[in-house]
Amino acid sequence: MQNLKDFKASKLAKIFNQFFMVSMWVLGIITVFFVLLLLFLILKDGLPYVTWDFVIGLPSEIDAGGGIGPMLLNSFYVTILSLLVSIPISLGAGIYLAEYAPDNKLTSTIRVCVEGLSSVPSIVFGLIGIALFVEYFQIGLTIIGASLSLAMLNLPLLTRVSEESIRAVPHSYREGSYALGATKLQTIFKVVIPVAMRGLITGLSLVAGRAFGESAVIILAGGVNASAEMWDFSLFSPGGTLAVHLWYVQSEAIVPDAKEIAHKSAAVLLFVVLAINLLFRIPLWWMERKMK
Amino acid sequence: MKKITIVMLAVAMFLSIFAIGAQARTVSGSITINGSSALLPLMLQAKKEFTARNPRVKMAVSGTSSISGPQSVRRGVAQIGTCDWDASTNVPGFKKFDGLVANKVAAIPFATIVNSANPVNNLTQQQLIDIYTGKITNWSQVGGNDAPIVVVNRAFGSGTRVNYTAKALNGATIIRSGANYKEASSSGVMATTVRTTPNAIGYIDLVYVTSGMKALSFNGVAPTVANVINKSYPIWGYGYMMTKGQPTGATKAFIDFVQGKTFQNGAVKKMKFIPIGAIK
Amino acid sequence: MQQTNSTASKMSGRHWRLMFSDQVFKWFCLFSAIVLCVVLFSIVFFMGKTGVLTFEFVKVTEYFFSLNWNPGFDETATYGAGIFFIGTILLTLLTLIISVPISVGIAVFLAEIAPTRLKETVRPILDLLVGIPSVIYGFLGLTILVPFVAKVFGTQLGDGLLAAALVLSLMVLPTIGRISDDSIEAVPQKYREAAYAMGCTKLQTIFFVVLPAARRGIVSAIILGMTRALGETMAVVMVIGNVPQLAESLVQPTSVLTSNIVMQIMAVPFESTWNYALFFMGFSLLVVALLLIVFVRIINNRSEVQ
Repeated sequence: MQNLKDFKASKLAKIFNQFFMVSMWVLGIITVFFVLLLLFLILKDGLPYVTWDFVIGLPSEIDAGGGIGPMLLNSFYVTILSLLVSIPISLGAGIYLAEYAPDNKLTSTIRVCVEGLSSVPSIVFGLIGIALFVEYFQIGLTIIGASLSLAMLNLPLLTRVSEESIRAVPHSYREGSYALGATKLQTIFKVVIPVAMRGLITGLSLVAGRAFGESAVIILAGGVNASAEMWDFSLFSPGGTLAVHLWYVQSEAIVPDAKEIAHKSAAVLLFVVLAINLLFRIPLWWMERKMK
Repeated sequence: MKKITIVMLAVAMFLSIFAIGAQARTVSGSITINGSSALLPLMLQAKKEFTARNPRVKMAVSGTSSISGPQSVRRGVAQIGTCDWDASTNVPGFKKFDGLVANKVAAIPFATIVNSANPVNNLTQQQLIDIYTGKITNWSQVGGNDAPIVVVNRAFGSGTRVNYTAKALNGATIIRSGANYKEASSSGVMATTVRTTPNAIGYIDLVYVTSGMKALSFNGVAPTVANVINKSYPIWGYGYMMTKGQPTGATKAFIDFVQGKTFQNGAVKKMKFIPIGAIK
Repeated sequence: MQQTNSTASKMSGRHWRLMFSDQVFKWFCLFSAIVLCVVLFSIVFFMGKTGVLTFEFVKVTEYFFSLNWNPGFDETATYGAGIFFIGTILLTLLTLIISVPISVGIAVFLAEIAPTRLKETVRPILDLLVGIPSVIYGFLGLTILVPFVAKVFGTQLGDGLLAAALVLSLMVLPTIGRISDDSIEAVPQKYREAAYAMGCTKLQTIFFVVLPAARRGIVSAIILGMTRALGETMAVVMVIGNVPQLAESLVQPTSVLTSNIVMQIMAVPFESTWNYALFFMGFSLLVVALLLIVFVRIINNRSEVQ
């Protein structure tokens, strides 16, 4: 009797198990399929219609046929400026945490700060941007305001990837370098950073991709407009980027071809974000081949 | 002695004329315009025509809602803030902005709009008030299909809303919530919503009435420029360019251009706005 | 030690220079690390300072519990932000209800079931999902999801909590999924072997052994997903409908903290109660996010101790 019960229970358990395995497979496959479908949908409706005129053209508010030139330029410009500001600080902080930090209160405070900063909602950086650049410095909604606000957003993630990739360098490398009489500074720059480069660049591409697509910070600190002309590198031009333009065109714009422009902008935005993830790795491959 | 004075005066006059001429020819600088989305099309057209004549002036024009116009000027973000009411005075719901100067642009006719599939063509003022205060909730009550009415309102700060509430709804308080109620943050959102929502009703300035929507008559009077000028269609208001103090330099040149005959009789008329002096 | 002595005896200008630059660099690194703390503290301080000004004009109870958000520049203005707080709480809960089972399921699939080659394909795809800008999610939501929701529910408008929660679920899926995946993967193999040895099926092993062992990691994954859902702005703005009213159903236009801030902040003067009230909404989000992070830290520390 007892045996039969056990047998039944295990039979039931087996059926459950089978059912569970099948549903997990279905879930996994559906998710992958869904993600690929989304990417395909975005690119399909836009990318085939993107022309060079659209990519570097000026936007239009009333007539059809506007481009995204100044916005796309702003996206790159703002992303690069924000990285220029945040890379030295984050790398310094990452090196400190990985190489110097003693196990004390200060270090754990710094760690809490990095984690805390990474949890700050992006809109808060936007609000700080308004308060700082629009209200306090009175420079309005500009490239520089957008870049600096975005730099604050980049800091924690960039610090974390720096720390992790530097920490991942095996200790024996450093010891070898010290044995040769190198100072700590020389060791860090000549041995640790080159070895950690792969991790650093992967992390950087992650941050750059996120900065490129960020919209909440830019809308508040950079505005929805870009410069009225192409190739305007003034730091005080309006700081609207492509991500913001996508929102603007989709919901606010009155041009008759708003829908097409939105589709094309979304495709270009996604394409560039994906490309950033790949492009950053090219010098890496090149370097690795050179090392071999 | 007299002769010398006259000669000097003549020289001075000549120089000053020359100086003014030179100044007019070499206007340069940058102007940012922000504010009313109702005036946006006109401002963009003005920018196009003005920068063609003054290539050294750089202009950026954008529009969300009227309140952001005087706001941006006060913050120093923009030199010109467009607003559908005179922001240097108190209007219902808004305090005046101290230190700002109002420069008239044109009169803006506003229209009640519905989706183009809607069979209704005319609403009386009372029907409109009842719809916007939530007393009428189905199109069949005003001679349309049996379908719920989706009320689309502009968000607070909209000049179109200020003018429309005052002139079409007689100052009635619009409903603020409900399953079939939506607020649009700009004229663009309003247009998109009405175009994509079959049973929506909204309001917008006349120039924005394009494909996918249609303008309703008000008390049997069609919203046309002619009906505004002959005073049979009452839903309109003046648009203003707000500046910090009296305008100077490129900003002044631009405002002079917009208020000038060429532009008032050209683009203003062509785009279904009404020239400043036309309504007596 | 010996090395230091021998170099110290040959004290040269070059040596001093090296020592000096070594120190300068160390100080630079420490300074950078401190900059991060200063940034965080100034943000918290400034947001708090500006936000608290609200309560010079508005009663605390009115701000948090009143549902009457009717700001303006005359005496009739009311600042009941309750709608937005309730909206944010509802939206976050709904998002978690939808996304947690799916994300943890994906994590289990990746860590326990999928063959290695499939794992190596799916993980980068999920990571890719993290990198997609939030406006693109919002754009998809607005163009595909909102009309779909309106059709399914037979309503006039499709914007609302449901559409926003679905978009957010997709956005937090990779966050929760990948972190849970890592923590499930980290459960020692011997646990599973012991369970199998006792005759457990895979399902039983996963539910009674692996998931409990990985629960701290999964909980921190869910909290991190939650902070993302709380703070997400643009994707939500595009599908929530932006009407300051309490949602009576899942498909009624409404507002949450982030969407309301972004829709109204540009239209208000900096020195106004309205603006302070919006800043306090940002400050509230900030405080909640920081508390959640502290919570995650406590969980992780405890699991380290054990």
